[in-house]
Amino acid sequence: MAYRWGMAVDLDKCTGCEACVTACHAENNIPTVGSQQAARGRAMHWIRVERYYEGNFPDVRVKFRPVLCQQCDNAPCEAVCPTYAAHQNEDGLNAQVYNRCIGTRYCANACSYNVRFFNFFNPEWVKPLNLQLNPDVSIREVGVMEKCTFCVQRIKAAKITAKAEDRGLVDGVLQPACAQACPTTALIFGDLNDPNSRVARLSHSPRGSKLLEDLGAEPKITYLDKQPWHEPDTY
Amino acid sequence: MDRRHFIKLTAISGTTAALTACGNPENQIIRFIPEDDLVPGVATWKPSICPLCAAGCGVIARVMEGDAEVFRNGKPGVIRMGLVKKLEGNPDDAISQGKLCPRGQAAIQVTYHPDRLDQPKKRSGERGGGQFADISWDEAIKELVGQLDALVAANDQASLAFLAKPRRGRRLELVADLLQRFGAKPPVTYELFSDEVLRRANSQSFGAHQLATVDLENAHYVISFGADFLGTWNSAVAQSVAYGRMRQAGPGARPKFVHVDARLTQTAANADEFVACKPGTEGLLAMAMAAVLNKTAGAGDYAPAKVAEKTGVPVEKIERLAREFAANGPSVAIVGGAPLAHTNAAFHAHAVNTLNLAANALNQSGGFSFVPQATQAATRPLTEILDAAPKLLLIDDVNPVFASPASWKVAEALKRVPFIVSFGSFVDETSALADLILPDHSFLESWVEAAPESGSAKAAPSKFGPVMRPLYDTRSTPDVLLDVSRKLAKPIAPALPNTFEEYLSAPTPEVRLKPDATSAPMARLKPDATSASMTWTEPQFDGDAAQYPYHFLPFASQALYDGSLAHLPWLQEMPDPMSSAMWCSWVEINEIKAGELGIEMGDLIEVTSTQGSVRAHAFLNPGIAPDAVAMPVGQGHTNFTRYASNRGVNPIAILAPATIAETGTLAWSATRVKIAKVGGPDKDGLILFGGATRERPDWTHGRGDEH
Ligand code: SF4
Ligand code: SF4
Repeated sequence: MAYRWGMAVDLDKCTGCEACVTACHAENNIPTVGSQQAARGRAMHWIRVERYYEGNFPDVRVKFRPVLCQQCDNAPCEAVCPTYAAHQNEDGLNAQVYNRCIGTRYCANACSYNVRFFNFFNPEWVKPLNLQLNPDVSIREVGVMEKCTFCVQRIKAAKITAKAEDRGLVDGVLQPACAQACPTTALIFGDLNDPNSRVARLSHSPRGSKLLEDLGAEPKITYLDKQPWHEPDTY
Repeated sequence: MDRRHFIKLTAISGTTAALTACGNPENQIIRFIPEDDLVPGVATWKPSICPLCAAGCGVIARVMEGDAEVFRNGKPGVIRMGLVKKLEGNPDDAISQGKLCPRGQAAIQVTYHPDRLDQPKKRSGERGGGQFADISWDEAIKELVGQLDALVAANDQASLAFLAKPRRGRRLELVADLLQRFGAKPPVTYELFSDEVLRRANSQSFGAHQLATVDLENAHYVISFGADFLGTWNSAVAQSVAYGRMRQAGPGARPKFVHVDARLTQTAANADEFVACKPGTEGLLAMAMAAVLNKTAGAGDYAPAKVAEKTGVPVEKIERLAREFAANGPSVAIVGGAPLAHTNAAFHAHAVNTLNLAANALNQSGGFSFVPQATQAATRPLTEILDAAPKLLLIDDVNPVFASPASWKVAEALKRVPFIVSFGSFVDETSALADLILPDHSFLESWVEAAPESGSAKAAPSKFGPVMRPLYDTRSTPDVLLDVSRKLAKPIAPALPNTFEEYLSAPTPEVRLKPDATSAPMARLKPDATSASMTWTEPQFDGDAAQYPYHFLPFASQALYDGSLAHLPWLQEMPDPMSSAMWCSWVEINEIKAGELGIEMGDLIEVTSTQGSVRAHAFLNPGIAPDAVAMPVGQGHTNFTRYASNRGVNPIAILAPATIAETGTLAWSATRVKIAKVGGPDKDGLILFGGATRERPDWTHGRGDEH
């Protein structure tokens, strides 16, 4: 059966540390844009950690929420792309074909999650920072839209290895860079079509919800709510 | 297949290849030396250790073949070699357990940094002017040997000093050994966010001069007094891994995490309950909780009723916290960060130890324990070389000129040293004062080792060989030190190992705590040994409260740590977890207080202490006490690569020169400041990635929201 990649994000575990953010940069050759472009809103982070304060000091809390492409089943970005650069692949991934993209940026406008990033310039890696580039991931040029791919290069490599060894994929071994780095294992990645995978089970958790669910984009990422502490009746 | 089966525990042998460039041009392939364990296009994984903080996380490096522009014998060329492409946590490592923090993920940029020094340098202009000329290794080593021989000739060996980071492990041990043989005093160490006062308290309370490993995974109730243990404090990765497991306990059994502080730090933001406590009184709260646990709550100086006013925590809350702590064991308390940076820090450290003893947390599952450790070399505090300038100073990758208050006058003291040698890989504020720079290999190019002080319940010393060949004409600092020692006119005896690799293969000296020591009862709190520190003294703050109404809370940046990582572009552009700020400095002011003062998000603020002032843009924070302002440490470098120089301001510079009496370390929470709005927002001022602090604007009073 085909794979259907999805993720569960356990908000009870995410500490907001942002290991996932740097890991994603390292894996996917995401350029830094520098302070001036960052000030103009052009910094690119395929995964970001939103944090929202509730209340005021001293009765104050914060919610962290890692946000990446939600890999929607009913993706609004795909419908508006005139060149089918944004499309759904056979594994249900919301894929972006860079050499089809002509930079209309319609997709970024249509996306409700603000996870698509436009290359306003050709990326620059001052030598020898270029040596850190991952040869498995293509570099995007000026005028192209980019976004989280669930580390599709890792998925492809794992599928090829599994096929060569004539076996299926083992749940939990294949991980995108963010999930692999996450110290608390707040990010759980896997195959939603495998009912026994951790992600499939967590997607049905009573703690689960989807981001902006009522917009109908049908995201494949489930957010698991923080659990409250229950006072035991020992006193 | 398990990921670890992919890890080849191979280290390439022969770290430098003798290469000669043939004549002129740049980018000429000077030689093709295949590395037999590399197949084009196929990744190999090799183990190493993250060098960016003292935690000592084990990493695995993804090595692939590629073409690198390198320097050999002063000439550039291209060679095909194994190149590190990514770092991951090493699943076989007891500390990192396959994970890394964001800084560890970015550590690869240390090796590939465009401003890394590619060969030895000699000062060619004014001291501190930052002008250096190339010099060969032979000349550089001759120069250093000459300096050392001159000290011996003058019978003035004691005038040699070595300044390093206080990292446990064999590198510092080798340095201490060489210094002793030479006739010099022990190495001097410096770090800004020092936990020395806690080590000292642990030594007195438990007979272990080190930080504890907290068994968060099995704890049911955790109370942290200021420790940013999920962000920047101690072994952040190991602690986060354990925290993740703690949160998995399931319905009904879910542990509680309480954080005590004056600001909602990244760690505090994860707490089930945040307890606001007046700065410098945290230990009183711990003592009051211990008093309730020990059922001495009604009497004594630490009765909840007596500490409530000082701490600002109501009596009922103290009593409830104590009852919860007692009833939901295993319970454990952690102290770190700001409480350990007050003038009365020793009290807070001892108070939390007392609370832990009242909860019987020592050597318990869900409590804390001490990892068996090899005996560490004795060191000296920075103040010793500030007061009496040495004649020759060797500096190993530490930057006290940046990371100390201006009032300590470290730069001035260093300028009085006749000759300074730096082994750093970058020009920074401290190495800019050097006469000679002998750049080290990067950690990926050299033998590395760590003896983690904490993070795992068992001792986890590790050592690994280089994972890639050096890019430049650099040399491993321990090897240079051994080389120099051999070349002295009066050789130092007995025979030394030839290389650091050889030194590392010798067994570590005596292990102080036996691995089975956990079952033996450790020394209990000795009232006589600790009575002085155990007496409550009011925290001293520099600056009169009427004139300087705000507590100043500098904090370690999740991205830039103590400023030593400000040169890495990934970390500069990583949004701060609590503000989403990138590439800049900012001042955190309580949101409501700012409203009263007419300060808006992004306004330019001047923060003034008795020592001076800095300017940065305001971030209106709902999670900071109204009588405090906070600033991240890390920016404000004047000379530290293209990415960090002249960006933002350094809050450490305006700290009062207050120290903790017991240890002589900097009391970085002991300064008061005043603030003034001196300008409006500027589009290049406060650079935020996210912006909004509130999920829905109507949850606030229309403040702090941009969306
Ligand atoms: S690495 Fe994990 S814990 Fe850290 S911010 Fe990302 S999701 Fe959260
Ligand atoms: S905590 Fe982070 S910086 Fe420190 S050693 Fe571990 S990965 Fe490196």
